[in-house]
Amino acid sequence: MWVFLGSDVMFFGAFIATYLVYRGRSLNGPYPSEILDIPVTTVSTFVLLMSSLAMVLGLHYLREGEKNKATLWILGVVVLGSVFMAFQFVEFREFAHEGLTPRTNIFGTTFFILTGIHGAHVTIGVIWMAFLAYSSHRGKLRADNSLDLEIAGLYWHFVDIVWIVIFTVIYLISANDGPPPGAELLHG
Amino acid sequence: MANLWQKLTYHKGNGWWNLPHTASQEPNPPFEGPIGGAWLSNFWRTITHGGVSHAGPGFYWLVGLFLGVITLLEVWLFNVQGLGGLYIPTLLGLSTLKFVGVVAFFMHLRFDGRLFTYIFTASMSIGIGMFTLVLLLQQFGNQVR
Repeated sequence: MWVFLGSDVMFFGAFIATYLVYRGRSLNGPYPSEILDIPVTTVSTFVLLMSSLAMVLGLHYLREGEKNKATLWILGVVVLGSVFMAFQFVEFREFAHEGLTPRTNIFGTTFFILTGIHGAHVTIGVIWMAFLAYSSHRGKLRADNSLDLEIAGLYWHFVDIVWIVIFTVIYLISANDGPPPGAELLHG
Repeated sequence: MANLWQKLTYHKGNGWWNLPHTASQEPNPPFEGPIGGAWLSNFWRTITHGGVSHAGPGFYWLVGLFLGVITLLEVWLFNVQGLGGLYIPTLLGLSTLKFVGVVAFFMHLRFDGRLFTYIFTASMSIGIGMFTLVLLLQQFGNQVR
C-alpha cells in the first residue's frame, strides 16, 4: 500500500502542479474569486479530517477486540465520507449553475479534474469502508486480521492528506484570483 | 551535545522521531508515548492507552482537535488577509503541519517500519522536486517571453 501511495503522490502531484501552472490564466470567468465558497469548503474539510479520526479509532477498537465500537467507527467513516461527497456534489452543481464547467475556462478544467479525481478516490474509499463495516459487523473482520482495515485506513488517510493540500492550494491560496492582467481588453 | 542529538533522533534515545527499525521487532517500546522524551511520555501515558503500541483514543482525539484548530486558523488567516507576503508561506506551513500530523500519527508512519518511511518520503521528495522544477521552468519561460 505504501508503494501504491507513493505512486499516487506523483499522480496527484502532477494535477496539482498543472493547476498551479495554469493558475490565474483564465481569460474568461467565472474566476476563483467569484465562485469559491470558503466557509462551506471549510466545513467539508473538517468533515474529511474527522473521518480520518473515525478511521483510526475504528482500527484501534478492532485491535482491542471491541467489535461493536469498531463497527460503529468504521460506519462513521462511511457516513462522514458520504457527507463529504455530498458537499462536493452540491458544490459542483452550484458551480455548473453559475456557469463553471470543465469546458468553460482553464480554471474550470484544472479545478474539476483535480477535485473530481480526488472525489473518485473518496468514492472508492467509501465503498471499501462500507464492505469493511459489514465484515466487522458479521465478525469476519477481527483483531487477528486487522491488517485489512489498516491497509484500507492508509488509503483513506492518504485521501485526507491530498485534500489538505488541495484545500490550501486551490481554495485558500487561489480564492482571491481574479482575471489576469489584460483580460478585460479581450472582452472590450 | 551528543546526548541532545540522541534524544532528538535515536529510537533508543526516546526522541521525537524515534522510529523503530521494523514494526514486528520493536512495535513500540513499552510505555513510550507517541511524542517526546521520558517526561512527556509520562504525561502521554496518562491520556493514551497505556503508551504501548501506537497510541490510544485520547491521543487520536488530540490529534483530531489539533487538525481542526489548524484548519480554523487557516480560514481565519484567509479572512483577515493581513499577512501580506507571509500569507502563502504561512498557509503552506500550517498545511504541512496537518499533513505531518495525519501521516505520522493517523497513518502510524511514526510507529511503523523505517522502510515505509523511506518509500513515502522518497516519493514525496521526488514528486515535490519534479513539480517545483516544472513550476520554475514555466516561470522562467514566462520571463524569457
